[in-house]
Amino acid sequence: MSSRDWLGLKHELPRRRQFMLVVLSFLLPLALWSAVSYVPWLWHPFVRVTAPGGVDYFIEGMDVPRAVFAKEKAAALQAGLVAPAGYPVNPVYLPAPHKVARAFFTAFKTPPRLPNEPWLHESLGHSIRTIFWGFVISSVFGIPLGILCGSYRFFSKLQEPFVEFFRYLPAPAFGALCVAILGIDDPPKIAIIVIGTLFQQVLVIGNTVRKVDPALIEAAQTLGARGWRLVRRVIIPATISDIYTDLRILLGWAWTYLIVAEVVGTSSGITFFINQQARYRNFDNVYAAIAMIGIIGFSTDMALAWLGQYLFPWKRRRRASALKSSVAEPSPSSAIPMSIG
Amino acid sequence: MNASSLALPDYRQQRPEVAARFQRIKERPVVLRIEDLAKHFGSGPAARTVFDGVSLDIHRREFISIIGASGCGKSTLIRIVAGLEEASAGRILLDGKPVSGPGPDRGMVFQGYTLFPWRTVKENVMFGLEMGGMDRSTADAEARQWLEMVGLGKFAESYPHELSGGMKQRVAIARALANNPRILIMDEPFGALDALTRCKMQGYLLQIWRKVDVTILFITHDLDEACFLSDRIIVMGANPGRIIEVIENPVPRPRSVEQFLTPEFLALKQRLDDIIHAPGAAEAEEKLPVVKLTEAGDEVE
Ligand SMILES: Nc1ncnc2c1ncn2[C@@H]1O[C@H](COP(=O)(O)OP(=O)(O)OP(=O)(O)O)[C@@H](O)[C@H]1O
Ligand SMILES: [Mg+2]
Repeated sequence: MSSRDWLGLKHELPRRRQFMLVVLSFLLPLALWSAVSYVPWLWHPFVRVTAPGGVDYFIEGMDVPRAVFAKEKAAALQAGLVAPAGYPVNPVYLPAPHKVARAFFTAFKTPPRLPNEPWLHESLGHSIRTIFWGFVISSVFGIPLGILCGSYRFFSKLQEPFVEFFRYLPAPAFGALCVAILGIDDPPKIAIIVIGTLFQQVLVIGNTVRKVDPALIEAAQTLGARGWRLVRRVIIPATISDIYTDLRILLGWAWTYLIVAEVVGTSSGITFFINQQARYRNFDNVYAAIAMIGIIGFSTDMALAWLGQYLFPWKRRRRASALKSSVAEPSPSSAIPMSIG
Repeated sequence: MNASSLALPDYRQQRPEVAARFQRIKERPVVLRIEDLAKHFGSGPAARTVFDGVSLDIHRREFISIIGASGCGKSTLIRIVAGLEEASAGRILLDGKPVSGPGPDRGMVFQGYTLFPWRTVKENVMFGLEMGGMDRSTADAEARQWLEMVGLGKFAESYPHELSGGMKQRVAIARALANNPRILIMDEPFGALDALTRCKMQGYLLQIWRKVDVTILFITHDLDEACFLSDRIIVMGANPGRIIEVIENPVPRPRSVEQFLTPEFLALKQRLDDIIHAPGAAEAEEKLPVVKLTEAGDEVE
């Protein structure tokens, strides 16, 4: 196992090693977080007071900066009072991994503080619904427009300059407008996601479609395809798997707009949960909720990638080169009668 | 040129059976007529003439090769014939009728394989048939027959990326022929293949051409390929592009690899070599500046 085997440029790694690296990519940040959380002399800028001793303003459970604690302790000792006791801690906004891990499960089991507040799973469900509809509505318009822009100069020139302009208007800026028009519930939130995604979608898909190999179009033309059929039978199938990849990336962006959208009108969904928990200073729940967004986004993307293999079988290149070398070249048969022409 | 060329016969000298064959070809109807074709790119002072005054008649079931220096406009010429580019002057007549724009009556095989990667091999061959309005089951049966003919029946359900270069090009040929084109246009179709595969493909192409009623217009860089395949060879020159000479191939048919060393073959090849590499005739070869990159005293030769 030389280092070249691991670090060769553009060198395919065996599956086992790839898997190890994938696991490692998650383990490394986790190890760093654990180190900072569990090794007392790494960072830990505060001291949690367990016994106030002779310091009159210390209360049990209070966090004081280390330097202050040391000074008060020295002062107390000098005055002949009982020294305060405590142990080093990190700030409350950096909970240890095990606390966040625990919050992952308890958050679902903890009833909301107020009876009209949603449970965590309800908040998550709400967010997923919002993003789903926002993305579907955006795609219903964005995909066809993108394909038209990519295929015809006419539509490209007619639409793209405006789309390009509109893309620079930040979606959150439309928050107040959306609420005024669509009310305070879900519609304005969905609208923000649509505004944030649609214009990018048209441009990104337009670009992808423009990149279709012109030789394929020419080949199709010499085979008698023209006009709309050229778009439907050649341009769309030639780019559909790339469009699919674009959509996966755009779906990631939609999550960013979700967080903005959910504070528009009445705050809702996972953002509401996060803000509420931060207000109660339950930072372990906050991290758990943020991590859940990550997990939902990441697993959705993995699922879509996996689905893509079945939707686009011609993109599966495995063993392609092996087949090439193992199959002997068959020659044209001479048994076909001339009548075929 | 050299001593051996002195011993070769004149390339214009034809055996009686070869002469008779050319006589028969000339009596056949003209499938494709290129009339005074010219192509310019750009306008104003930046305008550039690729070729000018190109005229040619191609008869039914003739195999025509075009050779010429790189950049003399071979690809441009046949792209105009295929309708993929517009001529600046002149016209193209197919069976006496002027054509414009691409159409299934002129099949094309490109150097890059241009198979549709999302379609299986069989579906690739079916593409033109479907565009022509044939129903799926008939097209399916027809496509299978064509694949059998190019020897790829077993690969009907494979995707193009699972095929080798030579196999892909055979699918491309089957796909073009399935449309029953009047003429099959091929732009260096075997240029990307290795020497051995290329040689096999030349044999396959002749076999296929013998079985199908189609006229072939074939561009190549390879003199052996032109001599081996064609009836007539069109030699083009550059700056501006034009037809320098039209040569009737004296090598008798049926062709075989053994003929590569016959006097006719060598004489023809010698002649092509002379025209293409004659100083000033075909191209004004640019002299590249010689830059020495190694230390003095490092001469290997
Ligand atoms: N779209 C274009 N715009 C401007 N000039 C072009 C264009 N297409 C081709 N040309 C010019 O036309 C000339 C002929 O090109 P063409 O590709 O037909 O040559 P060719 O004989 O096929 O060369 P090769 O043997 O290398 O394939 C070239 O000098 C090229 O620069
Ligand atoms: Mg060319």
